[in-house]
Amino acid sequence: MRKSRLVLAPAVMLAAAALVLSGCAAAEEETTTDAGSTTDSTEEVAETYEVYALLPQGSDQAYGTFYVPAMEAAAAELGINLTITNSQYDGDKQASECEIAVAAKPDGIILWPAVGDSVRPCLEAAAAAGIPVTVTNSDLFDADKALSFGYSGPDTYGQGVSSAEIMCELVGDTPVNIIQLNGAPGNATAIDRDNGFTDTVAANCPNVTILQEESTDWTKATAQQVASEMITAQGIDNIGGIYAADDSIAAGAIAALEARGVVAADYFITSIGNTFLGNPLVIAGSLDGTVFQSSSWDGDNATRLMYAVLTGEIAAGEREVRFMPSVKVTAGNASDADVAPEW
Amino acid sequence: MTNQTVIKVGSTATGFWGKFRSVLARRTEGRAVVLFAIIATFVTVSQPLVFTAYQVTLGRIALIGLVALGLTAVILMGELDLSVASTLAVSGVIAVTVANQTNMAIGVLAALAAGVVVSLINAFFVAIVGINSFIATLGMLFALRGMAFVISDEAPVKLQNTDLGIAFGQPLLGPLTPRILIFFLIFIAIQIFVSRVKAGREFLAVGGNRQAAYDAGIPVKRRIFTGFIISGVVAAIAGIINAVERTSADPTSGSTVLLASFAAAIIGGNYLKGGKGSIIGTLIGAASLGMLQVALTISGVQIPIQEIFIGGILLIAVITDPSSLRAVWGSLSTTFQGIKNSLAK
Repeated sequence: MRKSRLVLAPAVMLAAAALVLSGCAAAEEETTTDAGSTTDSTEEVAETYEVYALLPQGSDQAYGTFYVPAMEAAAAELGINLTITNSQYDGDKQASECEIAVAAKPDGIILWPAVGDSVRPCLEAAAAAGIPVTVTNSDLFDADKALSFGYSGPDTYGQGVSSAEIMCELVGDTPVNIIQLNGAPGNATAIDRDNGFTDTVAANCPNVTILQEESTDWTKATAQQVASEMITAQGIDNIGGIYAADDSIAAGAIAALEARGVVAADYFITSIGNTFLGNPLVIAGSLDGTVFQSSSWDGDNATRLMYAVLTGEIAAGEREVRFMPSVKVTAGNASDADVAPEW
Repeated sequence: MTNQTVIKVGSTATGFWGKFRSVLARRTEGRAVVLFAIIATFVTVSQPLVFTAYQVTLGRIALIGLVALGLTAVILMGELDLSVASTLAVSGVIAVTVANQTNMAIGVLAALAAGVVVSLINAFFVAIVGINSFIATLGMLFALRGMAFVISDEAPVKLQNTDLGIAFGQPLLGPLTPRILIFFLIFIAIQIFVSRVKAGREFLAVGGNRQAAYDAGIPVKRRIFTGFIISGVVAAIAGIINAVERTSADPTSGSTVLLASFAAAIIGGNYLKGGKGSIIGTLIGAASLGMLQVALTISGVQIPIQEIFIGGILLIAVITDPSSLRAVWGSLSTTFQGIKNSLAK
């Protein structure tokens, strides 16, 4: 009997807590409504906006290290009070963060989807609460786009296209076998870049044959290991080139080639990013070409796009897309100031 | 005289404070309750939204706590189940893949069956073959992760019936969503099993002293199988809930669940060596962790700082354990005695 009480006690306590908190929530709603009207009347005096930025990375990754400060700088300039979260690419965690953001009733939500397929409930909840959502870095799937006010960031499919165009231009009409190293499995950016590259190769240079493609976790170390295994599987003499989904992966693949005692410059290698790791490889001739991606542009424009929504520049139903310029970086322009690496 | 003494002791033991002290001595949730109170006070002062938006907080607690509840069944016996994170991922992928080809009910059954099969394999290696549970379930962690990628073709599997998923995330009873209700039902079920059912009560005996449990005639291997099945099935349920509520199954999901689940169990006063702990403790641990995470998220505290907070609480939970304190005190006493002796010479 005593144990039954022990079991039922938490349930009863939770039920009681739920009832009490229901009252609190109702009271809070009233308070918020009152506060809201106060804010409306003083909007002309001080226009500050509360915005949640639901990101899958932050200072824990190289890209986020430069993305977040640019985002915060733009927010400070435009009078936006940002609350930034980092789900570490866990879709469930980001969904929970979205619930928190919606409950906080901010003026807007900037969403960088951790998992593209999982954001529909978040978008629906925000729409139901009347909170505008803009998307950054990785765009939504077509079916979900109507639930957002806009997208700013790289044209991830276009980046794959640009990398393939560099490859096709280098190869010309020569038949070449290549291996392909993609980003993390399931990642929207990895999938888009993969599609952009393979579609363009098939259309522009069918003489390039993709012997094998494998996923990585975006890191140099894993890429080196995966590339080494692919080289062993296909035979070093059968491979004439490599496509890597980003510069870290390319650096790993180049290290794997050099470990076999071959010169990387003798191979057709392209990637995406133009990072601190990739740019010197282009200048050295190991990497034939990459595609410039600016993390600061990305962070800055995420905030500016939301500001445009908040100030009414972009109305509901007028989805605006702001693509980052995808500049091809090869030995000819790798040292130019306008494509200096940022991350 | 002797009679008087007996009566005095007896009255103390049966009085309110006697009972209270007796309960405190037997329970392991004391530190968890204190930590919960401290965190609740901190959250009330710093981020009252955690309480006003309580359904969101309960959702986060359920997200962390569901897997932790199942895990506790294994921890009570002194075993570990690292494969829960991958079981969550693979069951979600199976549920959605099968549901897309048939219907949701069959998808759910297939995912639950997968959870049972995984736990039977884990238990076989631990109880029959005799492999350390850390190693056996670590292998399963990797194998299942790979399987999730293979089944899903390395991409999230979209639930075709999106409306069902959206509806599943809506409140069902008052402000409570199906996730929260299932979480509390599972809590009550496991708590009753561990405290009221003979087989469940024997978990603590198996964890406390396995040889003594054998000698007392407890079917230890069967209990280990039962514990792993609870852990695996609950992880599978968590995977199904995540996949349906998010309208897609992500083969990479569960990446942050494993450590959070262990943290909830440890904060709740469960001993990783087994023999001491409770399901209620895990619930309190999950509630503490969930509240703290929501408060830190609302405050915009970045992940590294959040990890410092959570790590600090874990450390407090571990070092305030009476046996740890006794060990520290003993060590300090020995050190000071040594210094004193040296100075005396």
